[in-house]
Amino acid sequence: MDLYKILFEDLQKLISDLLKQGSSVVTQSAEGKKFIEIKKADEFILNPASKPTDISMKEYFFPKSESLFFYKKTKDGIELIDASKKNHRTVIIGAKPCDAAALPILSKVFNWDYKDEFFNQRANNTIIIGIACSYKDSSCFCTSAGLSPDSEKGSDLFLIPLNDNEYLLKLITEKGKKFLGEFSFLSKIKAAEKPVQDYGADKTEFDYLKIKNWLDNNFSSEFWDKTGELCLGCAQCAYVCPVCHCFDIVDESCGLSCGRRVKNWDSCQFGLFTKHASGHNPRNDQGKRYRQRINHKFKYYNERFGEILCTGCGRCSRGCPVSINILEILQEINRQEIHK
Amino acid sequence: MNLVETAKDILKTHKAEFIIGYTKGTDGRTKPFIAKNEKDAEQLVFNHYSVNNLAVYLTRINKPKNGKIGIVAKGCDVRAIIALVQENQIKREDVFIIGMNCSGVVRDIDEHWNKENTQIKCKYCQLRTPHIYDLLIGELEEFELPEDDQQILMNKIESLNAEERFDFWANEFDKCIKCYACRQVCPLCYCEQCIAEKSMPQWIETSATARGNFAWNLIRAFHLSGRCVGCHECERACPMDIPMTLLTRKMGMTAGKEFNYKHGMDPLEPTLIGTYNLKDKEDFIK
Repeated sequence: MDLYKILFEDLQKLISDLLKQGSSVVTQSAEGKKFIEIKKADEFILNPASKPTDISMKEYFFPKSESLFFYKKTKDGIELIDASKKNHRTVIIGAKPCDAAALPILSKVFNWDYKDEFFNQRANNTIIIGIACSYKDSSCFCTSAGLSPDSEKGSDLFLIPLNDNEYLLKLITEKGKKFLGEFSFLSKIKAAEKPVQDYGADKTEFDYLKIKNWLDNNFSSEFWDKTGELCLGCAQCAYVCPVCHCFDIVDESCGLSCGRRVKNWDSCQFGLFTKHASGHNPRNDQGKRYRQRINHKFKYYNERFGEILCTGCGRCSRGCPVSINILEILQEINRQEIHK
Repeated sequence: MNLVETAKDILKTHKAEFIIGYTKGTDGRTKPFIAKNEKDAEQLVFNHYSVNNLAVYLTRINKPKNGKIGIVAKGCDVRAIIALVQENQIKREDVFIIGMNCSGVVRDIDEHWNKENTQIKCKYCQLRTPHIYDLLIGELEEFELPEDDQQILMNKIESLNAEERFDFWANEFDKCIKCYACRQVCPLCYCEQCIAEKSMPQWIETSATARGNFAWNLIRAFHLSGRCVGCHECERACPMDIPMTLLTRKMGMTAGKEFNYKHGMDPLEPTLIGTYNLKDKEDFIK
């Protein structure tokens, strides 16, 4: 196994070199609210015990607004101009397992029938250095979502904290290994053994197969009316989620002679999301919209792609203005009798 | 009587058909809850973590066929209820207000309530005892008012020139992700179709970019000018921490200063935006 001991100052040096090269370096902001691009190595903090950021890092491969192309009226007709794709490297350091896992999960839907070149270009240009997490609260449930506090899924390199200054660095992907090879000063780091540490990966909050079975049989259950009754229908949950990926494509003009086509985040929690041009809305109340949220995450995505559309990070619950906790809802489903 | 006993009595005697209140949520939180019977009523709670303005549900949930909706309301929430009455969205007689004496609610819902962790609105609150109610519950705590730090920030922003102010808001609106949590939690944002959802013409670009974000945040503030009751739910709900109550509070202060008007105080008072008075100032027409 490729395992090395690395010091915090080595990581700072790495960041400093990356910034000199012109790569983007993204880490948790100092107050821990979001992921930000840092400009100096001393802005870098690494806190494995911190709460997941309020908003996920998906914006770095799936931006809230992304231009697809521009158009311009000329005297010969209409000229189409490609949107410039992001082609420089982004290194995300300190992604928790519930953040890092989002990339391979999203990759499936963005490469299902149409291969989303914008997403892929960003994903290919991103290196993710994950870190084992020692935070847990009543909204967290990564272990029930097929992950764990030390899950390496989605990470190219993975850090396991030994103390405030020392980390174990694990090489996960070929991409990660190649990346590390670029930095000669890192050749001095020494191989190490992984200490035995129990991250509680076997403790789960619900039985996923039971949830799936219940969802398979209860599309019309009154449970959804009750669950959706107090949901106010904003998109906080979807927009802070690391894996919610619905988008809308619109054209925006910049005047009479030019404009752009743009891809914007959208959410199934909005009434407008399914409203037909006729005025009919098949999801005409919040219960039906909430049902869609749960079914897409824990049933449809699993049926199509073999995994669930959730990393158990708990952001949606922590940020919900009316304190709807998705874990409590899943646990309630877990307790239901299955009526076929 | 305490809240639970009162609520049970209200439901038993059909003073209200159900009660919108708070129940225990995850960890120390409370969350909105509808008590439909006496057993449900046992789950009602009210404390410093009862942050939500439940008046938002009055225009969103199904009304009972006969009888009233009961609602647990702090002073700031009562202002929203009365504003809805003034704006003809609900009838005063259709609502049974369980007014709560309130000594302030938390700003960070996952931290303990104390002087520092108190919502901005509580720092200048004048309705610790609601102005209108059908029944009043609870005792006021002795509590030293924390400093109104928003007023300090407002003064600072007002001292900036137009360009600097523009930069301040450009920086704040840049964070907006267009989740519309500010709109959805607002008891006064009850339009069946929001202007942000209209596409012919597209008044507000849906993109979360500088132009779309400016358009949304400013139009939202304008639509609430002289209407906002200052419950600060929009800012509490915002996942990106945009200090949008600076705008709505300022608008409310202007309505007070220029027209001696405060929304949500008297169910019989005509609304500022909905009335024309020959004595209204016209000095803005140049």
